[in-house]
Amino acid sequence: MHRELIQLDINGERRELAVPPQKVLLDVLREDLGLTGSKRGCDDSSCGACAVLADGVPILACVAIASCYQETRIITVEGLAVAGEPTPIQTAYGEAGGSQCGFCTPGFMIAIHALLQHNPNPSDEEIRETLSSNLCRCTGYMQIYESVRLAMRRMEARSAQPAAVR
Amino acid sequence: MSLPAMRVVRPRTVEDAVRVLAAHGPEAMILAGGTDVVPNLQMRLFAPRVLLDIKGIGSLRGVVRQPDETIRVGALTTLTQLLATESLRLRYPVISSAVRSIAGPLQRNMGTLGGNLCLETRCRWYNQSDFWRKSLGGCLKKEGTICHVAPGGDRCWAVWSGDCAPALLTLDAEIEIAGPNGNRRLALSSFYRNDGINRIALGGDELLAAVVLPPRTAGWRGVYHKLRIRNSIDYPLAGVAVVMNVDEQGVCRDARVALGAVNPAPVLVKQAADWLIGKKYSPELVERLVHAAIQTGKPLTTSASSPVYRREMLRVFTRRALEEMWGMRPRTPNGND
Repeated sequence: MHRELIQLDINGERRELAVPPQKVLLDVLREDLGLTGSKRGCDDSSCGACAVLADGVPILACVAIASCYQETRIITVEGLAVAGEPTPIQTAYGEAGGSQCGFCTPGFMIAIHALLQHNPNPSDEEIRETLSSNLCRCTGYMQIYESVRLAMRRMEARSAQPAAVR
Repeated sequence: MSLPAMRVVRPRTVEDAVRVLAAHGPEAMILAGGTDVVPNLQMRLFAPRVLLDIKGIGSLRGVVRQPDETIRVGALTTLTQLLATESLRLRYPVISSAVRSIAGPLQRNMGTLGGNLCLETRCRWYNQSDFWRKSLGGCLKKEGTICHVAPGGDRCWAVWSGDCAPALLTLDAEIEIAGPNGNRRLALSSFYRNDGINRIALGGDELLAAVVLPPRTAGWRGVYHKLRIRNSIDYPLAGVAVVMNVDEQGVCRDARVALGAVNPAPVLVKQAADWLIGKKYSPELVERLVHAAIQTGKPLTTSASSPVYRREMLRVFTRRALEEMWGMRPRTPNGND
């Protein structure tokens, strides 16, 4: 099969690899880079399990052709934690039971991370609307929304502390 | 699902893009956000030799107010960016109403205005896997000779399934098309052919560059109502866009009504302006318009939802939207019903 050399910026690292030019980003992440956190659910852009950040904006890796994203900074669920320190939503998810079978979790993590970066205090309606591209077939939506609210409370408490304690 | 082997070309200018299109003819396919094209490629609905990724063309981006007071919206503007653009939200509320109802936020982060206006038409007999379609012997639109929607006919009834087009039709929008001989301007209403196969008037060596909004329809009230199975992700099963310019006395100064997802093209209800201009709200007038709307919309068995139900919802949406325009009922916050 014809392959071309492409360069991708994944989780802050420049990666060079030879792939078929039409290969989708999700397949490149999972098959060529071993980053299996992003999941293949529907494979046709209608479930959100493959979401990654492209220059900070959540997109669907199953319909993104990798060779077209060479000038974009891609962050996958593996790259959310900074220096091994879980993000507030990652911690809250475990505590509030946001994850059941776990398959949809990486996509939700990406969508929630982007939401909280952009708006640290979203309303319930904004949370529901922002997450409406992500399907959870365990139907654990209430726990997912609760995880977001728990993460919001944590972030607020942390930013209220004096800088020295932080 | 892997995509068929093809070349991927990434031009930086419109001129380069047009040259590639001209060189490869029907074997080239334009790619922008990918939310429509890529799933269709996966299903082997298209088999291009060359995929032309236009995302790197800077001149197709941005929303600019031009000297003649028109607003030019670049075709690569994502649906999310459209919603975030204050000048559009305030001046053309029907656009935000329609865009908010498109797919879901992740799809809107990728999907572009140009892509939504050039969407492939949809039908339950067409949007199926390769195996499914071949088992049936194909259909008029692809790999076959019979239309399963209207078996005696020689026309494809695959449905226009974009939400931006009806909204923009009500605003008398124009589009800018780039081709080998430069740009041409076209009324959006002339872009759609009402043919499920040959859906848009775009030459093989042309690309949609921008939408141009006239100052005349700025500030008009507007709303879009949409029927779909779930209130996220899904394509429309029926859509109604209504705009109206109403004065302080409640008299309609001008109005448009457009339908989507019920015909192979988005269509204006022609009688709207003639019947509504100079009139105040009356239930009888609304019902007359509702009747004109269901005469214009022709839903067939192109989806899992029944034509009878979709037609009935055209009636409900047109009535509801007209009442909202005249202030007889609270505005729907977004296009979801």
